[in-house]
Amino acid sequence: MYSDLLWFAVAFYGLAIILAAPSAARGRPTFSSASVAAVVLGLVLNGAALIADAQTLHRIPLTGIEAALSFLALCIAAAFLLISRAYRSYGVGWLGALVLPIVFLLTLAAALGTRSARDVQVLADRWLIVHSITMILGYTCVFLTFAAAVMYLMQAGELKSKRPRSFYRFLPPLEVCDRLYDQTLVFGVLLLTIGIVTGFFWAARMWKGSWELDPKILASIVTWAIYAVLGSTRLYGRWKGRKSAYVAIIGFAAVMITFLGATFLSSQHGFFPR
Amino acid sequence: MNLVLVGINHRTAPVEVREKMVIQEARQAAVLTDLVRREGIREGLILSTCNRTEIAVRADSSSEPEHTLRRFLADTHHCNLELYETHLYWLRQREVVEHLFRVASSLDSMIVGEAQILGQVKQAALIAREAGALQGELHDVVEHALAVGRRVRRETAIGVASVSVSTAAVELARSIFGSLEGKKVFILGSGKMSELAARSLASSGARDILVSSRNYDRAVDLATRFHGEAVPFDRIFHHLAHADIAICSTGSPHMLIRKSYVEELLSARKNRPIFFIDLAVPRDVDPAVDELDNAFLYDIDDLGRVVQNNREQRKREATWAEEIVQQEADRMMRRLESKELAPTIVALEKRLQSIREGELARFNGRLAELTSDQRESVNALTQAILSKILHGPVSELKDAAGRPDHSTLVQLVRRIFGVPD
Repeated sequence: MYSDLLWFAVAFYGLAIILAAPSAARGRPTFSSASVAAVVLGLVLNGAALIADAQTLHRIPLTGIEAALSFLALCIAAAFLLISRAYRSYGVGWLGALVLPIVFLLTLAAALGTRSARDVQVLADRWLIVHSITMILGYTCVFLTFAAAVMYLMQAGELKSKRPRSFYRFLPPLEVCDRLYDQTLVFGVLLLTIGIVTGFFWAARMWKGSWELDPKILASIVTWAIYAVLGSTRLYGRWKGRKSAYVAIIGFAAVMITFLGATFLSSQHGFFPR
Repeated sequence: MNLVLVGINHRTAPVEVREKMVIQEARQAAVLTDLVRREGIREGLILSTCNRTEIAVRADSSSEPEHTLRRFLADTHHCNLELYETHLYWLRQREVVEHLFRVASSLDSMIVGEAQILGQVKQAALIAREAGALQGELHDVVEHALAVGRRVRRETAIGVASVSVSTAAVELARSIFGSLEGKKVFILGSGKMSELAARSLASSGARDILVSSRNYDRAVDLATRFHGEAVPFDRIFHHLAHADIAICSTGSPHMLIRKSYVEELLSARKNRPIFFIDLAVPRDVDPAVDELDNAFLYDIDDLGRVVQNNREQRKREATWAEEIVQQEADRMMRRLESKELAPTIVALEKRLQSIREGELARFNGRLAELTSDQRESVNALTQAILSKILHGPVSELKDAAGRPDHSTLVQLVRRIFGVPD
């Protein structure tokens, strides 16, 4: 049931991309209502798959990497729909071009993954559930910050080139990129902070030995520091524009390393408790 | 199906001729009612704008609507049509479909890509429908033309790229700030160009306008026109700190705005972006300003290049739009022709069936001694022969849908098999 639903979600996300592909190939991603409808259907099925998973496991299913990936995809797709509604008078096509392939790949990876039917008692802890949900929501936000930064750089590059190519009309204006960047950054830092703190509590209770030196924990502290610095410089308004866009991209790379890379390095953290 | 369109437009006739051919909206319903009452005319549409007057009709397939239309035009305009003959263009069948699609897509407009024409076609269709002059195939064509126009708007940037310096400046400003509402515009110098640019910005929502010029009276004059405020020239740096968009066109012989100054400015505005439009020659703004991260500087040549670029883009977009029009015209023709085909096929079948039944009846006496089984076989045999004969022409007709020789083929098949019209 779970994997059927998830495969349908993958199919609809894929359909949304196919429907938007011809316009994207011409450098002007516009999302027809058919494409948006496919995203909405994919989102519903994605959510249904998670609910089905939760029912079979009798708990929130975020402890497996597949469920975490598919929940991340769900959050990103939902955020994309919300943002494209809020900013519909500006070009959000490029946001879709950045976001939808990621959503598709995340769900595809989740659907391909073999789920080990583990039911480790420690993983049902309440701290851990808060930790995983806030972390994934935080990842969603910083991914959007990253997308906003990329769009900012593309738009600024076109404007500075003095010969903007036609696709600059399909990018959001700089100030809209900036607003999106600031909003997602604030929420991202907040959520990551909560996520990391709850993670500490859980680790301190559950793990033995020097858990502070676990690679994933160290990596997440570095990541958090990057975003905290970025957030405060943005608040003071010193670092608008391209500089902060580059930092957001570096920060997102750090997130990717933390989320995926350290998972395989860590002895006890991550999705494969050994 | 017999579609004909007669028209006059900005390419074939100067305004003094076009104005004589206009059919005002208020008159259109009555004129259309008159048109469809004329011999052989089934449907009609009048599209009359400042660039064109066109009349499209669907007539009976046997009639020749050109003659009727000529007389109709002469009657409607109370004129001797021969005087205008050289300005008129006549289109038939697929040409009509293609033309209406191109018009609705703004490819036939004086300014290619202008947005009004789609609304005008829609209005014309509405009037014709309400007058009862549009309810068959022509109606389908017009509805499809509107859909094509919308598709072209959606899928191409034909109407997006600005082709004048002042609108290009607005477009760039929008790419920086999004909405211009609430943005402060500072006009430095009171030349004609800066006034034009300011006008475009103001009409796009920029309300807060400051003007400064060495000649204070002219600054006041310009400011009152934009409901803005004039500030003394020696205070410009104080006011510039609050501006989001600065339009410079002073006659100053040296650069007024230096890089170091803009650096201070940006730090004071917490690096919110600022857009300099330098229309002055010699330039007012140091080109090095553009090296700063959140400062965007376009001088008169930059804007000229953007406009040039946009013109080329529009041209490219127009070729893509033409492709869409051709695609859709193919689709429309196939649809119209297969619609037209159905009665021909039915009539053909009926004709052959009646031959078969007639012959069977004629031989009824001689077949009387057959057993019912044998009779059944004769029936099946004749039916099979009939189906085999029908198969060739029917599939040939279906294949021909969309091809230019389609109508000729229909007529040919009808004639060969003696199918009545």
